[in-house]
Amino acid sequence: MMERTARLSCISVIASALLSVPALADEKITLLTWNIPMYGDNIEGWIAEFNEIHPDIEVEWINKNGADWSTFYQTQIAAGTPPDVVDIQGALWAEYAANGHLLDLAPFLEDDPDFASRFVEESLDFWETADGELFMVPWYFNRTLIYLNKQMIEEAGIETPLESFDDIMTAANQLSGEGRTGFLTTNFDWLYWPLFRMNGVEILNEEMTEAAFNTPEALETLTALADGTKSGAINNISWTGRWVEPNTAFASGNVGIYMAPGAALFWAASQAEWINGDNIEVQDAPGNWWGTNHHGLGISATTEYPEAALDLVKIATSDRWQVELSNFFSILTLNQNIEQALIDRFKAEDPLKGRVLELTNTHLDKITGYIKSPLESRIKDAFWTSVQPALLGQTDPQAALDSAEAKVNRILARQ
Amino acid sequence: MTVLFKTRRNRELALVWFLLIPALAVFLFYRVIPLLWNVVLSFSFWAPGKPLEFAGLYHYEEMFVYDDAFWVVLKNTAVFLLATPAAIVIALGLALLVDQRIRGRSVYRMIIFLPYPMMVVAVGIVWRWLYNDSVGLVNYALRAIGIIDQPIAFLESYDFAMLAIIIAAVWQIVGFFMIIILTGLQNIPPHLYEAAVIDGARAHHRFWRITLPLLRPSLFLCFVLGIIASFLSFDLIFTMTDGGPGLATEVLITHIYKLSFELSRFDYAAAVTVVMFLLFILLTVIANLLAGGDAGKVDIAD
Repeated sequence: MMERTARLSCISVIASALLSVPALADEKITLLTWNIPMYGDNIEGWIAEFNEIHPDIEVEWINKNGADWSTFYQTQIAAGTPPDVVDIQGALWAEYAANGHLLDLAPFLEDDPDFASRFVEESLDFWETADGELFMVPWYFNRTLIYLNKQMIEEAGIETPLESFDDIMTAANQLSGEGRTGFLTTNFDWLYWPLFRMNGVEILNEEMTEAAFNTPEALETLTALADGTKSGAINNISWTGRWVEPNTAFASGNVGIYMAPGAALFWAASQAEWINGDNIEVQDAPGNWWGTNHHGLGISATTEYPEAALDLVKIATSDRWQVELSNFFSILTLNQNIEQALIDRFKAEDPLKGRVLELTNTHLDKITGYIKSPLESRIKDAFWTSVQPALLGQTDPQAALDSAEAKVNRILARQ
Repeated sequence: MTVLFKTRRNRELALVWFLLIPALAVFLFYRVIPLLWNVVLSFSFWAPGKPLEFAGLYHYEEMFVYDDAFWVVLKNTAVFLLATPAAIVIALGLALLVDQRIRGRSVYRMIIFLPYPMMVVAVGIVWRWLYNDSVGLVNYALRAIGIIDQPIAFLESYDFAMLAIIIAAVWQIVGFFMIIILTGLQNIPPHLYEAAVIDGARAHHRFWRITLPLLRPSLFLCFVLGIIASFLSFDLIFTMTDGGPGLATEVLITHIYKLSFELSRFDYAAAVTVVMFLLFILLTVIANLLAGGDAGKVDIAD
């Protein structure tokens, strides 16, 4: 009798525990973002808006920092469970698109002109292939500009704007000495490439079948940068640091010229009060060339809920949420309905941010160091690992270019 | 079925297998199968979500003939392995010191052992700060005593970065080695030393003829554990230099990670992993042979 009572008690406890578990949504989509944990409240806002349209679909938000993002995303792809909506930086999307992991969004934009018309038209080219497929839509946009430390520039009597590579090198030499360096650049994701492009150097040929960078102009540029680094005119953090290191170096106030994305300058400004509209002059790189680390939103090809995933992307890129994003990060969104009003407001409230964002919004056709190829990351690595030692005086510049050319051509030959 | 459990011996065997199966299952699923899959992958072209395609020796040819980065990384791994003998020598010295009857020797042992249980990432961050050229203690100390005039960016320097990491790695593991060696020292029967003293053996003779030979199993254990730690020292290098500048501190394990997750070359990374595994086996066999062929053996007859 006792035993029977005990059994019944156990069964009733387990049954009531199971029944008391709140009902989980049967359907779920996953959103993967890149290093924006601080933006969580607004993402929750998207999800709330999404649930008004799709009350039965749960949205799981996963955020990964830059170092973990690709590890996580690739593991999920290999496991057959990629996130439904994914935020991808730069040109990394090209590899995932070529391997069939991303959905072509072009038909969705054709079907919904209101959705398509919110984006700055030429910005969609960033994610469009030669076949007319479109794999991402713009989420936020950040590109390189040149920032001048006005006090150092004025003390050295340098005329601005700097109009050529030679102008930059001459100014860097004049500005350096006694714990000061003339020039500093960010280097990841080809962000240094405007220095080569302003001298007419391309990474690949037009057909993207061969390396095109092993030219006398490239040698001259590389040699000048290596010499400048050796003499101290160029800060060697340009070739060794990633984000924190160059930004911190510029924030110290001992660097005359800094080439970096707008977000990098704002990060430095958050560390140093002197970085403001009075002390910083902003200009485009000579030739108006720029490198990018913009972000787009795409949808996984294997998603079970493409329409719902698209609705989430539409909410994320809507005027309402893009105003929030822009205000939160002081960044452009390539949403043409809101861009100009935001720039005007920033110009009134913070002249430095206003100037940076205003310039960021120009010359969108002058993008460089942006290879829409599935082999982009391998080409980038092959070039950089060959050329970086030359920039730091470890190898001969011509030997570095020869080595990089051989490696890149071998990668391209395997296509 | 019940016949199997009739004898005492069979019941004991069944119990042994019952206890072993969970560990063997983990070993099979997390070690053997991934290793075999890795070998298959190294002879294939593969990307996540794509079907396998036979590649023959393509990746091995790429590695040995075309990829100069592989040879740089291999050389760096060999240099980084030097941290192990360096740490063993230092640990042996420290173990001999704290084995003496000196006041507070337990405190000294604890202080030396303390870095070992620390999280490797934390160790990396601390040493990054120590080596920093603007605010680092190492630069401050070297300038204060007049060894250098200008600060050195140790971790951004092709000349110093690897040495800087080796010092950090040795600092962390030396306490662990010291404890192993200390245990070995305390297991040496005192009567051997007493007999040697009676025979007139000097201190260095006692060290070379008694201490060192009898420490062989402990030293071998340190060596193998050190090799494993060096081969798998991902966190420290990733935190301190991320393999840079250039490839100056890139070792096989960080190279494999980057090939896989930054360049999406899982197939090629698998080939490099196979080579790393073979190297690891080779080094262990050599170490065992150098230690007399039965190093690490536990004699249960006693």
